[in-house]
Amino acid sequence: MHPSGPAPAVEALDLRKAFERIHAVDGVDLDLRPGRIYGLLGPNGSGKTTLIRLLAGLSKATSGEARILGTRMPSRPMLGRIGYMPQSEALYPDLSVAENLGFFAALQGARTRAAIDRVLELVELSDRKGSPVLELSGGMRRRLSLACTLVHEPPIIFLDEPTVGVDPALRVQFWAHFRRLAAAGATILVASHVMDEADRCDELLFIRAGKVIAEGTGAELRAKAKTDNLETAFLQFAGLDAEGRPVDGSPAQ
Amino acid sequence: MSARRVLAVARRIAEGFRRDHRSLALLFIAPLFVTALLGWVLRGSVAGTIDLVVAGAPAALVDALESAAADPDLDVEVRIEAIDDADGARGAVRDGDADVALIVAGSGANVGLTIVTQGADPTTEGGQLGVVQALISGAAGALLPIPGARLPEISRETIYLSPDADQLDALAPVFLGIFAYFFVFILTGISFLRERVGGTLERLLATPVTRAEIVLGYSIGFSFFAAIQVVVLTLFILARVEVPALGPIPAFTIGLDVQTAGSPAIAFIVALLMAIGAVNLGIFLSTYARTELQIVQFIPLVILPQALLGGVFWPVERLPDVLQAIAHVLPVTYAVDALREVMIKGADFGSSVVQLDLAVLAGIAILFVVLGAGTIKREVA
Ligand SMILES: Nc1ncnc2c1ncn2[C@@H]1O[C@H](COP(=O)(O)OP(=O)(O)OP(=O)(O)O)[C@@H](O)[C@H]1O
Ligand SMILES: [Mg+2]
Repeated sequence: MHPSGPAPAVEALDLRKAFERIHAVDGVDLDLRPGRIYGLLGPNGSGKTTLIRLLAGLSKATSGEARILGTRMPSRPMLGRIGYMPQSEALYPDLSVAENLGFFAALQGARTRAAIDRVLELVELSDRKGSPVLELSGGMRRRLSLACTLVHEPPIIFLDEPTVGVDPALRVQFWAHFRRLAAAGATILVASHVMDEADRCDELLFIRAGKVIAEGTGAELRAKAKTDNLETAFLQFAGLDAEGRPVDGSPAQ
Repeated sequence: MSARRVLAVARRIAEGFRRDHRSLALLFIAPLFVTALLGWVLRGSVAGTIDLVVAGAPAALVDALESAAADPDLDVEVRIEAIDDADGARGAVRDGDADVALIVAGSGANVGLTIVTQGADPTTEGGQLGVVQALISGAAGALLPIPGARLPEISRETIYLSPDADQLDALAPVFLGIFAYFFVFILTGISFLRERVGGTLERLLATPVTRAEIVLGYSIGFSFFAAIQVVVLTLFILARVEVPALGPIPAFTIGLDVQTAGSPAIAFIVALLMAIGAVNLGIFLSTYARTELQIVQFIPLVILPQALLGGVFWPVERLPDVLQAIAHVLPVTYAVDALREVMIKGADFGSSVVQLDLAVLAGIAILFVVLGAGTIKREVA
């Protein structure tokens, strides 16, 4: 899909991951370029988290290959170039905001006060530095989690539903920041099942049952599905009717 | 209050248990397991052999002691060896060649008897002393020229602790290594479980950190607390601080004032090695737990047997063979041995026993580190 342009930052080659009977990721090919924001869209259980974990080298593929900046994953040195925001909170509840951030910054080798202050500023938690995570609201925890992901200014960023529970005003700021990071050359993959965020992405990947069922810019996908609504487009690519039932009349699984 | 809701809650708990096979098994099997073990240990430790060395006794007395020892009513076997020299007898007890020495001095009405034991294990020695005293009463005829005369006073002597050392003196130093071991195990188990369940381990593994770094970091972190615990415990065991009466508070003392011979510094090293092992055992076992409750469930399974078999309460040599074999693979056994050598017998790094114990403990700690680290990169759910 990119015949020319910069070398791929993130690649997947027929990537597969099976858990006992479930094929969570079922033959995915990807080619993500620097400077762009990619949206990974799909329903619950479609394999978004599993795909991101494979790309980030957190789990071993059953077959196929994931590459970051040309290096086959899992690769420990590459982890320093990746920012991964898990879907779950993944913070230490009894540590303070600054302690959590300081800890992950230290593991990433970004121990500068300035870096920490900068991300705290971004997620608007500067005034809560000393609060234990236990005392933060759910949205604040998401914000801190994002801060922990970005503190070392990674060129490759995987965000697993980053804006869940974040209020609209801050959500806009988040996306503005993602855009700035991409403009500065970062490659960003955002998993979401919120279609209204999709339009903020440069390119979309529709995933269902572990397979990429469509990819392209929002405009391309709309044109292909002959609809203005991305949700409708998704259903159409998935072979479902407007109420989420298979169009050929067979019962939904 | 609604009985329906109460029942619903009770039912949910029962249903939860039904799916949690480990908790269920532990609920019923663990008490059986521990009770059986306790019975085995207690019953198994009654029998034994006492090696008695008799110094300076006339041949008639030795013969009389031997025939008293041959009494079938006596439920232990007593092996008697007669030698001439009293210091030789003390040496035999110190070196562990004999359990008890009976030193006879003088003769006739001026006869003096001294019973010597190591003084390292008051409980066991108390039992042995009783047997030897029974033998002496049985042999009284050979000892006293006039039948019916009163037996002379028997004096007591010990090599290490003073004869009036109590069980606490022998037990307390051993706790130094044991407590840290058990506490650190539970703390690490729970905190590592939280890492696994809370997703922070996943986040850790998404950074360039190596598992060796994680394991080491954990070991240092928890060993630090273990070290503080050992220092406080050492002070408590050894010290005796009199606090004078203050207003309505009466005077009291803090500390156990336990007698010790050796260097607390070596005991500290033993405890530290134990703590490092415990951290990694906790990390290792946290793989096999899903909730904090399940970590606690490891106590009867992992900790109690070690406490029972490791020589804390019963000497390992007096366990049945099978249990001895198990005891020899438990780190606690070596820690207890080293702590006894150091704190009671006053051994130092020069002692080959202490060297061996420390080497084995270090080896076990390394084994646990490898096991613990091995569970970390395994796929996190
Ligand atoms: N560790 C695991 N063991 C077994 N099955 C798993 C495991 N992880 C994921 N799965 C299965 O793989 C499939 C994809 O899961 P995944 O978490 O990737 O979905 P997702 O797209 O991220 O969903 P959501 O939108 O709910 O976050 C699901 O059917 C899930 O049950
Ligand atoms: Mg997910």
